[in-house]
Amino acid sequence: MSEIISSDNLRKLAAEWIEQGVRVAAPQHAGGRVLYLPLKNSADLLLDAFIHPANSAKEFLFPKSETLYAYRVEGQDVKLVEAPGTETPQVLLGVRPCDAAAFPILDHIFNWDCADELYNRRRRNTTIVVLACSAHDANCFCTSVGLGPASERGADVLLVPLTNDTFEVRSVTEKGRSLFAGKTQTDNVAAMAAAGPEPRFAPDAVRKFSAANFEHPIWGEHALACVGCGACAHTCPTCHCFDIVDEHGERVRNWDSCQFSLFTLHASGHNPRPDQGSRQRQRILHKFSIYPDKFGEILCTGCGNCTRNCPAGLGVLPLLIAIEHEEHLPA
Amino acid sequence: MSEVFEPRIVAFVCNWCTYLGADLAGTTRLEYPANVRIVRLPCSGRIDFNLLIKAFEIGADAVLVSGCHPGDCHYNTGNYHARRRWMLFRPLLEVLGFDMRRLHFAWISAAESRKFQQTVKQVVEETRQLGPYQYPAPPTDSYGAGREPHKNHFDAAAAQQRAREMLEAKEVDVVIGYGSSGPVFIRRPEDVDQITCEETGLNLAAYLGRKEVRAMGRAAILTKPMDAGALVVLERESQIESGAVKTIPIGEPGKGDFSDLDALLALPPAERMAWWAGEFARCTRCYACRQVCPMCYCERCIADKNRPVVIDTSPTPVGNFAWHVTRAFHLAGRCVGCGACNHACPVGIDLRLLNMAVHRAVAEQFDFNVGADPKAESPIGCWAPADHEEFIR
Amino acid sequence: MKNIYQPDLMEVAAVQRHTADVKSVKVRFRDADCAQQFQFRVGQFGIFSSFGYGESVFNICSSSTWSDGLEFCFRKTGRVTEALWEIEEGDTIGFRGPYGNGYPVEAWKGKNLIFLGGGIAMPPIRCAIWYALENRADYGDITIVYGARTVADLVYVNELAEWSKRERVRVIQCVDPGGETPNWTGEIGFVPTVFERAQVAAENSVALVIGPPIMIKNTMPVLDRMGLPRASVYTSLENRMKCGVGKCGRCNCGPVYVCKEGPVFTMEELAALPQDY
Repeated sequence: MSEIISSDNLRKLAAEWIEQGVRVAAPQHAGGRVLYLPLKNSADLLLDAFIHPANSAKEFLFPKSETLYAYRVEGQDVKLVEAPGTETPQVLLGVRPCDAAAFPILDHIFNWDCADELYNRRRRNTTIVVLACSAHDANCFCTSVGLGPASERGADVLLVPLTNDTFEVRSVTEKGRSLFAGKTQTDNVAAMAAAGPEPRFAPDAVRKFSAANFEHPIWGEHALACVGCGACAHTCPTCHCFDIVDEHGERVRNWDSCQFSLFTLHASGHNPRPDQGSRQRQRILHKFSIYPDKFGEILCTGCGNCTRNCPAGLGVLPLLIAIEHEEHLPA
Repeated sequence: MSEVFEPRIVAFVCNWCTYLGADLAGTTRLEYPANVRIVRLPCSGRIDFNLLIKAFEIGADAVLVSGCHPGDCHYNTGNYHARRRWMLFRPLLEVLGFDMRRLHFAWISAAESRKFQQTVKQVVEETRQLGPYQYPAPPTDSYGAGREPHKNHFDAAAAQQRAREMLEAKEVDVVIGYGSSGPVFIRRPEDVDQITCEETGLNLAAYLGRKEVRAMGRAAILTKPMDAGALVVLERESQIESGAVKTIPIGEPGKGDFSDLDALLALPPAERMAWWAGEFARCTRCYACRQVCPMCYCERCIADKNRPVVIDTSPTPVGNFAWHVTRAFHLAGRCVGCGACNHACPVGIDLRLLNMAVHRAVAEQFDFNVGADPKAESPIGCWAPADHEEFIR
Repeated sequence: MKNIYQPDLMEVAAVQRHTADVKSVKVRFRDADCAQQFQFRVGQFGIFSSFGYGESVFNICSSSTWSDGLEFCFRKTGRVTEALWEIEEGDTIGFRGPYGNGYPVEAWKGKNLIFLGGGIAMPPIRCAIWYALENRADYGDITIVYGARTVADLVYVNELAEWSKRERVRVIQCVDPGGETPNWTGEIGFVPTVFERAQVAAENSVALVIGPPIMIKNTMPVLDRMGLPRASVYTSLENRMKCGVGKCGRCNCGPVYVCKEGPVFTMEELAALPQDY
């Protein structure tokens, strides 16, 4: 027996949550594309006919700009004012498995040694309702990094599309179970997950190659077309690099990107990563070598957003395929 | 609110005329409201638009900008240059829906203490009626529909042929073309089939300043109808030598279409401002718009400078507003309308509309065609005695 | 739970100007409990903030054996250091830390210590020198070679004079050719050359080398020639950092987060890392 819910009832449920003051974020149409945005009207909720939103769901746990604390300078003295932390419950509704899988991965970095309470507090107050994929595009490569169209990693609930506008509701955690308790019907149908993309490369080969080839022409060659913007990092579910600045009496953390030329620039003017090639290398190394070495997990969920959003059509995938090819060349 | 609203007015004034006019008002005991904070600069030509934006950002309810009358400038022409810039800056603020009643321009001489008094009084009274300035909240009902990225189709065979000829004749060392997913850098004639013209969103002139590309030698680039204008501007601004970059044109030129801009301008200003607030709310400051722009070749962008911080680096509503105003205005008389910024924006902000507003003002007010003649003086770098000034008191 | 990005407040106790663009500052915790609990190891760093301008990373250049506050030293080069340049006694700054690994002063016990520094790299060496002097019996001979571009660029000159009066401490100061003044009594030349001329014995020694990349690059062959193994040569990296706690993602040097696993490395360890610094 399985639990099911119709899309109408799901929308009603979303409307109820909004009514109760829950912050609901979900894929919607905006700016000529699909984006994860706070849901204002449950009719705007998208449940099919999109591959992956142009942004990632990380911004609801790790916002693009966040006040760490405020301060007031009073003569020679300073008063610190703690950031007004919010305990508002939130539901990420209809996020793709590749977005949900990013959260357990990000938990490592925000909690090794010292815990980032700002992230953790949002994490605790968030329930993640994953919508399994029914299609993929040429940029998707979840199956290459150990995930898939119906992966439960990071999900509290997994919705798998059935025919006739209905979803099978698979509760993964207690949090998810209680969210949908009493809201579903039972049925004896079981949803079949769609087939994922064919695996495109082996992460181990990438790790081996990038660890052994810090200096290699492939980095510079692939970075030729890179314009040095942060579109890849900002739309990536796992990229988490940030900057800290003072603005208007607050200390604020903002998303940053390893592709910006200022990212590693020293005050002396020296820059350890002086060109786009070394910055692209850092992005690959961080995801496929540094992070796995430290935390045992690849810092990539194969969502394909970096390629989808790259103005120059790059992203990690073409480079990863090229590396795999390079790794298998006879020595 | 029980308290009476006391507007805060920031007056940016030049040192030689308006400041002395204000001073004279004081010494001759002409009273004017204490709501005004005077910021003295050497010349109205030095009053950067970023100062105006900053003033609103940190709490001004209205801004007064004032300098010497035409012909009176201590530095001869600073006020004429200032007038030029305001002529183009105002259309940009208009398309953004900024409340133009909060921004005042005046010529006030050192002798016109009474005019200073009267102007300040008027500005304070008008602003009192308007209430406090607030950056608007985005619309609450839905999100902007935005523009679908549209794809043009180009004939790759002709471009391949031309690229092959150029490389074989050693006319150029590299042809930068469009491949299946983006730019390709072709250095050997046998590789020209990589030019497939499938993804043509970028303006390839953006790559010309790159160290790695310069190192390849003489370059030819594929240009869509609007793209080649960028080479004209780069030459005008001494970034490339005349004729140094060859072009392989693709596609037929279309007609300029301002219908989207007109539709936006048909909305009341407050609605425009709120609509843009919703659009800018999505901006993450990935700077893709800047990085793909052939005109954004500055070694270090003003947005990346921090002494002082002119534009907040945080992707907050006010920070994003300041960034997009700056980006668009730094392209005044320079944007060639290639649309690469729109193509690049991952969150689908229709940045083109801002550029179009300034572009149209440049064309209409100065009869200037940005991408036509590299020798023609940039409209933002010159001035004319006949420049209109009906917006200046 | 404590917000890991929130600093403790410190009061400026003293400001000392060393050169035209280098100052050192002594600060004390405003909160008595903080002052009580605070401990650090020499070689660790702190994140100091000027409110309204931002945060900057500096080595804690006082000795960990001193109980009265802590000191840091900076050159005026950017937004935050320009703001810190203006601070006066009694002002408040923010401090987070201590962060990083610090020098292995326990492992150095019983060894002769060689300190080689260039320019603004004196402060991170200074804390180690004072630590060794405060625990004099634990360490053997101490050699300090310190150079700067010109006489006017030398920092902590009074302390250099003081150290040279201590027992079994040899201090050699040098300036680049052309950087000397008429009454300059120190050496003229670059740190590596001057150090080689000094004929320091390698037996039972460890070296701490901090300075601009070019100085470190040219010093390494000298140390190799005198037979000091690279595992006994230490340096401190200065990668750009924001968070200091291994999250912001910019200080890594290959797989190593400099803010957590560094900033102190042996040259042997560095050789195994990619050239990402």
